[in-house]
Amino acid sequence: MSHRDEDVTADSWRQHRKHVFVLSEAGKPIYSRYGSEEALSSTMGVMMALVSFVQSGDNIIRSIYSDGHTVVFLQKGPLVLVCVSSSRQTEKQLRGELLYVYYQIISMLTQASISRIFEHKKNYDLRRLLAGSEKILDGLLNLVDSDPSFLLVAVQCLPLASSLRDNISQILQKAITPNLVFSILIANNQLLTIVQEKTVIEDSRLEPADIHLLLNLIGASSAFQAGEIWTPICLPLFNPDCYFYAYISYLDPPECTVCLLLLSTDKEAFYAVAECKRKIEEAMMAQNSLSLIAKVQSYSVSQVGVSDLRHFMYKPFDVPDTYQQLTQFTSPEMEAPYSSEEEKMRLLDLYRYMHSRIHSTSRPLKLIYHVAERETLLAWVTSKFELYTCFSPLVTKACAITAITKLLRWIKKEEDRLFIRYPPKYSTTPNPSKSSRGGKSDQQDSTDNGFLSLL
Amino acid sequence: MPEVSKMKKPDVKLVLLGDMNVGKTSLLHRYTERKFKDTVSTVGGAFFLKQWGPYNISIWDTAGREQFHGLGSMYCRGAAAVILTYDVSNWQSLAELEERFLSLTDTANHDCIYALVGNKADLTDPRAQLCQDSDEASKDRMDCGEERTETQVLSACPTPPASPVSLSGITPGKQVTPEDAMALYGRILRYKGLEEKSSLPAEKMCFETSAKTGYNVDNLFEALFDLVLPSILRNTNENQHSPTVDLEECRGAKRGRPGCC
Repeated sequence: MSHRDEDVTADSWRQHRKHVFVLSEAGKPIYSRYGSEEALSSTMGVMMALVSFVQSGDNIIRSIYSDGHTVVFLQKGPLVLVCVSSSRQTEKQLRGELLYVYYQIISMLTQASISRIFEHKKNYDLRRLLAGSEKILDGLLNLVDSDPSFLLVAVQCLPLASSLRDNISQILQKAITPNLVFSILIANNQLLTIVQEKTVIEDSRLEPADIHLLLNLIGASSAFQAGEIWTPICLPLFNPDCYFYAYISYLDPPECTVCLLLLSTDKEAFYAVAECKRKIEEAMMAQNSLSLIAKVQSYSVSQVGVSDLRHFMYKPFDVPDTYQQLTQFTSPEMEAPYSSEEEKMRLLDLYRYMHSRIHSTSRPLKLIYHVAERETLLAWVTSKFELYTCFSPLVTKACAITAITKLLRWIKKEEDRLFIRYPPKYSTTPNPSKSSRGGKSDQQDSTDNGFLSLL
Repeated sequence: MPEVSKMKKPDVKLVLLGDMNVGKTSLLHRYTERKFKDTVSTVGGAFFLKQWGPYNISIWDTAGREQFHGLGSMYCRGAAAVILTYDVSNWQSLAELEERFLSLTDTANHDCIYALVGNKADLTDPRAQLCQDSDEASKDRMDCGEERTETQVLSACPTPPASPVSLSGITPGKQVTPEDAMALYGRILRYKGLEEKSSLPAEKMCFETSAKTGYNVDNLFEALFDLVLPSILRNTNENQHSPTVDLEECRGAKRGRPGCC
């Protein structure tokens, strides 16, 4: 099944919808989504030549448009990321996706150590450090293609009765140890609840992209389900230069759908953090939470009760208040006629098109009514929310507007279930003045991770 | 730390070290789950608690990737046994043990024992291809004769034998003989400042295993558990000390004292 072994001279290789390449400024291959990097070293050499040629004229190459392909370049520090896409996505969207790839690399190595490595040795082969992580990047790119969270830059949480969510949050709130900064519970790859350290998030919020990267990491390394994992991880939007230490453990082996993630700033805190997990496990056992979570499912659009409505995505903008909200969105299951992978992708492509029109830099729109071949879409952005809806093709404009009114009313009624309304907090730092922005005190630690010794 | 007292206390700590793709996770999985399955590259380290008779043995399965190198010494802190794993069909994986992993064990207990484990024996040894649950002692193994001559002279960093490392893993031949491993074991003892005479003999501490077929896997873990028993007993007897990992104590411990066996 490995894409690594693909023949890069074959037509099938050329026909992939979206290629992604990562190379160093010296033109050394670092990652290719399809085919091995070695086989592609000359191709990547050409890419780097293009980048530096334009650079020599004091300019930056951003994109190339050709027959049916868009090539997008993104340079971040010593890394160059290139996307070759035959999808209809815009340059802006593709660049956003490349940025996720960059962030995922940062999440494993930190920005500081990457800069340091290349400062010392310009032609360093970064694959040495990323070896074994290809699956994480592959997984990310598959998610980016299939999960609208990345397009919307928002997190979808598991719909859950607010009383149950609150109970679980309280359990997490009570199981703390010094230097614990985030306690996150995930069920079926969706966020169930997140509890945050008070002082840490006072001047910085947890960005959806950081959560996406965490979820992807867990998804891509689900092999050891019985063990308790302890690993350094950087949250690039929170702080690109420092590591957190993540404790990852499944609460329901062997099914392994409910995953607990505890982030600490203390490298040595494994045993203390593992003890928090045991407390959480006990409390959840006592309240029978796991079996309640197991019953929870995503919802169907039919629950809204609007006949022509097939699917929607709703992203509220958070209200400025004392709570640091996590940007979220809600969306029902994709059901017939969008059950097959191809149809799902087609609907997502339509959404991407609507999204690009709404967010066009030259001519942004507030409202679009788009009659496509097999469905009708309506996208609407206001100061309070962003909404994408998909209707059957026979809907009239008036009907669609009424339907949206009904939908908004339904969401309002259900919002306690659909969203994490007020992310709960705890306080684990005895001396709060020092440790805002989490890992700052940990800065020297990235050197400790052995990178310097490699040079 | 009052919290720790509630935890099911590990009585002793074992650590699996070695380059990526040598099969550390698979070995552990074979032993604990009696199965061989595809694994993905380990992230950081994974902690397992294994009940062995009345004792709880904690096992750290670490990532072999260079990315996580810096954490190695943390996983090794206070370890009673370190399992240095290589791939018998990959010379470099043995060399890496000496170059990259040996220094991580500086934080292990002063009387820590070291086992050298050549995994993937099923690729080279017909006896390891039979699905079995280990029994044969690892002493009387036969080698694929061709490579023997070249690898008998052992310097600190010998050159790899003739057959090239197959990166794609299509035709792996045996690249590391038990003699190579035993020679490395001797160098490890020297690095640790241990007397060969007073330490566990190389024949006893070098294993060849196959996580795929189960060959020698139980042997390996059970032999090690037996050998760390003195550590366990000492830990459980030392009333005050937390048997988990006493960070302070281990940090202060000097290596260089000969093991007491």
